[in-house]
Amino acid sequence: MLALGLVARWIHLASSIFLVGGAVMIVMAGPSDRPTARRWERRMLAATRALAAVALASGLVVLSVQTALFEGRAGAALDLGAIARVVVETQAGHVWLVRFGLLVVLAAFLLLRLPVDQRVDWRAARGEGVLLGAAALVPIAAAGHAAAVEPGTARAIAVDALHVAAAGLWVGGLVPLAMLLRAAATPEGADARPYAVLAARRFSRVALATVALLAVTGALLATFHVGSVAGLVGTRYGRLLLAKLLLLALGLLLALINRSVLLPRLGGDGETVGRPAMRRLSGFVAAEACLALAILGLVAALGLTPPARHDAPVWPFAIRLSTAALEGASAEATRALIGSQIAVLGLAVLVAAAVLRSRMLPLGALGLVALGAGAGLALPPLTIDAYPTTYLRPSVPYQAASIASGAALYRENCVACHGPGGAGNGPAGLNLPRPPADLRAPHTAQHTAGDLYWWLTNGIPAAGMPGFGARLTDDQRWDLINFLRALSAGYAARNMGKAVEPDRRWLVAPDFAFAVGPTPPRSLKEYRGRVVLLVLYQLPESRARMSQIAGRDGTLSMLGVEVIAVPTDADRDAIRRLGEDPRVLFPVVTDGAEAIVSAYRLFAPAPHAEFLIDRQGYVRAIAKSRGQAEDMEPLLGHIQELNQERVSAEPPPDEHVH
Amino acid sequence: MRTWKAVVLLNLALLVGAGWGYAFWGLRAARLERELVAARAAAASGVEREWTVEGVIRGIFPELGVLVITHGDINEFMPAMTMGFRVASPKIQEGLSAGDAVRFTVRGVPPNVAVIAIQKITR
Repeated sequence: MLALGLVARWIHLASSIFLVGGAVMIVMAGPSDRPTARRWERRMLAATRALAAVALASGLVVLSVQTALFEGRAGAALDLGAIARVVVETQAGHVWLVRFGLLVVLAAFLLLRLPVDQRVDWRAARGEGVLLGAAALVPIAAAGHAAAVEPGTARAIAVDALHVAAAGLWVGGLVPLAMLLRAAATPEGADARPYAVLAARRFSRVALATVALLAVTGALLATFHVGSVAGLVGTRYGRLLLAKLLLLALGLLLALINRSVLLPRLGGDGETVGRPAMRRLSGFVAAEACLALAILGLVAALGLTPPARHDAPVWPFAIRLSTAALEGASAEATRALIGSQIAVLGLAVLVAAAVLRSRMLPLGALGLVALGAGAGLALPPLTIDAYPTTYLRPSVPYQAASIASGAALYRENCVACHGPGGAGNGPAGLNLPRPPADLRAPHTAQHTAGDLYWWLTNGIPAAGMPGFGARLTDDQRWDLINFLRALSAGYAARNMGKAVEPDRRWLVAPDFAFAVGPTPPRSLKEYRGRVVLLVLYQLPESRARMSQIAGRDGTLSMLGVEVIAVPTDADRDAIRRLGEDPRVLFPVVTDGAEAIVSAYRLFAPAPHAEFLIDRQGYVRAIAKSRGQAEDMEPLLGHIQELNQERVSAEPPPDEHVH
Repeated sequence: MRTWKAVVLLNLALLVGAGWGYAFWGLRAARLERELVAARAAAASGVEREWTVEGVIRGIFPELGVLVITHGDINEFMPAMTMGFRVASPKIQEGLSAGDAVRFTVRGVPPNVAVIAIQKITR
């Protein structure tokens, strides 16, 4: 079914595109009274009629396969009710309806064979073919992956529409041009030779502009759908795209030869002038068209493949390049800096070589040498070991519940070697070939979550670390990784104080779910946009401080702060135990407290702790105490600072996974 | 007829068809939207309504006849929050203390609602 869908899409896409290109090529070449040119135009018109019929037939097959894929059963492909549902109820169906309607109008128009003896009639009839063909082709953008881009759907569709239109212009014009050149290169077709040369020059000019447009829109679409190097080399979508780019590069090479070598040799109107060049050009253009057809096949396959952004990339190399490798290694950083500057210099010399034609060879060689030397100097310090899972995104979000279960797993499986605090000082680790890693160390920034996932799953044989792939489930391994992230962050946060450091957001507040009594659960994330004071307390030690906070409830809510109180003893009767005087009106967590305490204690190992979380979800200040009453004014001051801070354009913390 | 006239006519027909279809559907959608808003507004105001929700007693003010309750979402009236509710009769407040999990019923014409019944729930 999938193969049928692929072939049908390919045929449909190719016929729709060749339809537009053929019509455009006729208009671009213009009306002519030479017999060979007239013959070519008649053949082109017959071809467009046939293509319209093919597009209609393959469009029906595409729709029925689409229905089968939507419904998940092969039988739906022939079920008229199911097909009607898809047409009426899905956006792809609406787009199909519009396009199919326009194709029907186009086919009818082409079959009419209106008289075109006068120039204005010729232009109207051929122009209408272009108009209807383009109108039937371009909406295809609204039924593809671009329609699923969030946010910026309209922009993605517009870019895709431009891409498709440009492809129609360039790719679709190749076959008609090749046929015209071939006809004109024969001895009988000599009368149409000036016409063919003119058409080839016009097409070449238009093709240059459309290729530039294709490159720009294609690059934009790649950022929408792929977005990263890992996505490009590590997913099926990315590799299909690479294959497409390779074919495109070949096609552009041919186009370059055509434009710069063959096209200038076409000049002249005699019997023999330019004929061999014209025949060769015809062959090259036909080869380009074949490449374009193969590219369209890849495009059809891309349309049926989930975009790389929504796929888990498998990194194919044993190393990766990252500036994170330079952290804390100043000699290496200097080397990388010098190397990169030499490489940039090399690039500049290469550009100069391209501009100064007279000294092309020596300058080009110099540029290449500098580029190679610079890369050789700069790249080795930037390499980091990489694994197939390096760019795998965590399937369990960074949340308190996950961190808490990761902590429990750590106590069961990891403490023996890595030690209770993660310092790598467990008793069983003493005799290993390599000492266990200090899991608190900041160098964990150099390792992606996917690296940790690989080590947890497969172990590190050389260091004596066992793999846990068989013992822990996928989710459990991600829980452990979330715990390690929190552990490392907590170690880095050990010196964070009560005062807010302006514009330094780095400690992500793990999201958590909580409930107050029988009310439905809420999450910390819902409080984005407001400053949150998260209080971990224990009774009776914290009573003085809690009374103090409750007493200033009015001031706190005036400042727009949401207080969330979490009892460290996870008591269902926590609200009652806080008592009625002074009245505590802010949320006191009765369900979900254990996970919050387990996760946030990693940041502040103290009996009573207060976390000031800013509007973007970062912990900005931590106050550790025994719960005694303290002056409230500094806290209110820090809250005011956070309120006055400009919200930065940084992404929200959930995406902050390395 | 000259071909160019036929082409112009065809394009006009397509444009008018598309415009008419869009106007028809657009107007229809707008009308439905308006009706929906009106129906919502009618449902939300002027009519006495009743909700039963769960929550936790946070404060009791017998002298004011007010209960402060942390409650869940009240459908089409207000989101989950902690706020004071008037009680319909002083009796309702009897026997309650802060920290009690309760299921309570509010009735009235929004925003003037009062608690008419409350019962403790054990979890």
